[in-house]
Amino acid sequence: MRFLIRFIKKNAAGDAEHSDKIISAPAITIGRATDQMLHLRDRRARLEHATIERKNGDVHIKTGTIAGVTVNGRSQRDAKLAIGDGIEVGANIMRVIEPPDGVDFALSFELGDDAGAEFLEQSWITPTSGIAGWSKRRLSWSLAALIIIVAFALPGLSLLGPGVASVMRGSELLPDDGWWLAGPVHSGHSSTAANCENCHTSTFQRVPDDACMACHTADRHVAGGAQAVLGEARCASCHLEHNEPPELVKQHQGLCADCHQNLPADANLQNAGDFLDAHPDFRVSLLRPVVTGASEVEWSIEHVALAAATTADRSNLKFDHQVHLDREGIITPDGKRVVDCAECHVPEPGGARMLPVSMDEHCSGCHTLSFDPDDPTRVVPHGDPAAVVQSLVEYYSARLLGADPDAAEQRVRRPGAALTRADRDKAAAEARTKALAVAEDLFERRACTNCHEVSKLDNNADMPWWVRPVRLTESFFPHANFSHAAHDTEVTSCNSCHAARESRSAHDLLMPDIETCRDCHGSALERRNKESQTPSTCIMCHSFHFEAKGNHQ
Amino acid sequence: MHESVLAFRKRRYLWVALLLAGLAILAYWFDDPQEPANGGTPLGYALGALGALLILWLTWFGVRKRRYSSTLGSVQGWLSAHVYLGTSLLVIVLLHTGFQFGWNVHTLAFTLMMLVILSGLFGVYVYMKYPERMSENRGGAPRIELIDQLEDIDRRSARVAAELGADFLEFVSSGIQRTQLGATLWQRLRGHDSSQILVRQGGQTQIAANAGQETALDWLAEQQSIAGDGETAAAIGELSALIRNKRRLLRQLGEDLKLQAKLEIWLYAHVPLTAGLIAALLIHILTVFLYW
Repeated sequence: MRFLIRFIKKNAAGDAEHSDKIISAPAITIGRATDQMLHLRDRRARLEHATIERKNGDVHIKTGTIAGVTVNGRSQRDAKLAIGDGIEVGANIMRVIEPPDGVDFALSFELGDDAGAEFLEQSWITPTSGIAGWSKRRLSWSLAALIIIVAFALPGLSLLGPGVASVMRGSELLPDDGWWLAGPVHSGHSSTAANCENCHTSTFQRVPDDACMACHTADRHVAGGAQAVLGEARCASCHLEHNEPPELVKQHQGLCADCHQNLPADANLQNAGDFLDAHPDFRVSLLRPVVTGASEVEWSIEHVALAAATTADRSNLKFDHQVHLDREGIITPDGKRVVDCAECHVPEPGGARMLPVSMDEHCSGCHTLSFDPDDPTRVVPHGDPAAVVQSLVEYYSARLLGADPDAAEQRVRRPGAALTRADRDKAAAEARTKALAVAEDLFERRACTNCHEVSKLDNNADMPWWVRPVRLTESFFPHANFSHAAHDTEVTSCNSCHAARESRSAHDLLMPDIETCRDCHGSALERRNKESQTPSTCIMCHSFHFEAKGNHQ
Repeated sequence: MHESVLAFRKRRYLWVALLLAGLAILAYWFDDPQEPANGGTPLGYALGALGALLILWLTWFGVRKRRYSSTLGSVQGWLSAHVYLGTSLLVIVLLHTGFQFGWNVHTLAFTLMMLVILSGLFGVYVYMKYPERMSENRGGAPRIELIDQLEDIDRRSARVAAELGADFLEFVSSGIQRTQLGATLWQRLRGHDSSQILVRQGGQTQIAANAGQETALDWLAEQQSIAGDGETAAAIGELSALIRNKRRLLRQLGEDLKLQAKLEIWLYAHVPLTAGLIAALLIHILTVFLYW
């Protein structure tokens, strides 16, 4: 199909000029795109706006746009064209004209001014930024200013002085420097933490030791040689606040092990590292009685290996745990019954250590100090051998001299008559002899010697027995913090750690060795442990700052 | 061939970001500080310094993208790095906190950073999806073309209405004047058509909602049914056809504006929150050492 397009243009004089263009193609394309045969410079035209082509012998104009094309003033999508028809696309006007010879279809096209230039943008479509109200820049400055005022400037007023600070901190509404807290304060510091400057005495400087020492007194671990190692460390180097979980006391293995696993040769201490395999075997602190003179003992402390064959408890007491813990029961004043550990070993308040065992509270129920089968409720006092002899002398004197009307030994005499001096002296001598005989029985065979080391003194007729003084060790491991309560679990019993049922002698040390502890306590690193072991760091048992404990004054 | 910022240079900056985040995680995993993990341990300071420098560098993107003469990498490369390294901050700064949070300026800075990153990720999403959707919606044409077509229809409707008489011209003109898409930000985000039209009823002129040109089409249908002659009816029919075309164009435009608003709105969070973050970050650093 041959098309003719006649471009009409007005020249400077206002006369119409035209130029023709002949196109041989199946169809004419009209649009804004540059590859269109009829190229329109009008933004109301689409890139490919319409096509003119033959259809069933007629010539049609078709468009796919919503706006359509206007043919003879009517908007249409598909219109049959006849000579004289006017076609409008935007501001462009085309007219179907009589085709010259050799041309199938002709169109005149009037070139106007640049049609798109007259277009005015519709005011109702404003850019998003235009309807957002605030510009991004304005929003940015506002938010930054708000944050600086509320989170810095206002809380910062607290730095002006204690008066302003108390007003700011006292108000529910005003932001104070509590907003700057990096984390919670430990409950132990809650009373002092209301005022930041109690600890943070100078701005932009670390918390000084003086601030801590205002309330605390602490001998540093480092009074001795380790000072050089610790150098400039402050209290707050280790005792860190504002952490979650709150941890005022460092639990970390490195706190001790960094130095102790590799001590200098002259340190006079064994190296100690991870509890699983780098901790030395336990050493116990024991009281050792030293006889300093006739019937006199001084106690000294010895620090010896727990496992050494010679290590023995020297409390001067005789005791057989196995007998007392007989599963068949033992004979007591209440009949035969099984005794358990807790009858004698009672935890102190708080449950850390055990209260001392005492004759009065724990032994005397069974071990009565009676001496007269005819008078089983009568007992001698415990604890003072001289008082025992004295009480026996008084007891028998009374019986012989009549203070006790039921006494069988009482002399027969006339009612109302007083004893003569000779009778009294004789009776007193008899009573003393009787008392010493009973005392000898008590001290050497029956009562005292069951539990005590008793020796006979030849040089003292008045008090011929020496009961060696007893002193029980209060803390075998004074440098370890141990709590029985913390170890009272479903899977543990006294017997788990203390082999009391097998012990036949008070010389036996019933303290657990390190392997017993390692059943449950392992390395600081969880991955090195067996399933039954809990990660354990040095601080779990040991304190960094020395503290006097137990026998160690 | 167009290469998205995510795929820039074989995802070079994705690997850089993964490397940074991976190294941070490894360091955190193997670090064994003598105190609960926090921003004040040696690793905490390192991660904090890295995070702060990254934040400042990421903010610099706002400057770099306006420096058209800069030859320090392409803006596309900068945006790719901005997206990936910005996302790596999630890991780096989270580890810097040691997972300790509270009601304080420090967590404020962290929260603002999270919001900036999340808004940025939303921005990445819309920049990946919406331009294509907008283009599909407009059938490949630019928006100005739709507006031009709309104006063309308006002009032609007015001409047909003028032929039909003063009532029609007044009615159609009011509909043209009161055509309104997304007048407020919220309406625009929802693609709401708030067009109105003046309807004369019993001698009184009232403003009626004309969303989707419904009121206009109803009125025209009514007028057509009572038209005295075939020619008038045909003219009203043509007018209705034009208005229906306008309705379709308005739907397209409404959708286009909605998508564009969504495409742009996240920056109204991303940029101001960044300014807030920089302020909070400075306060965080300052106050940590103020009460050291």
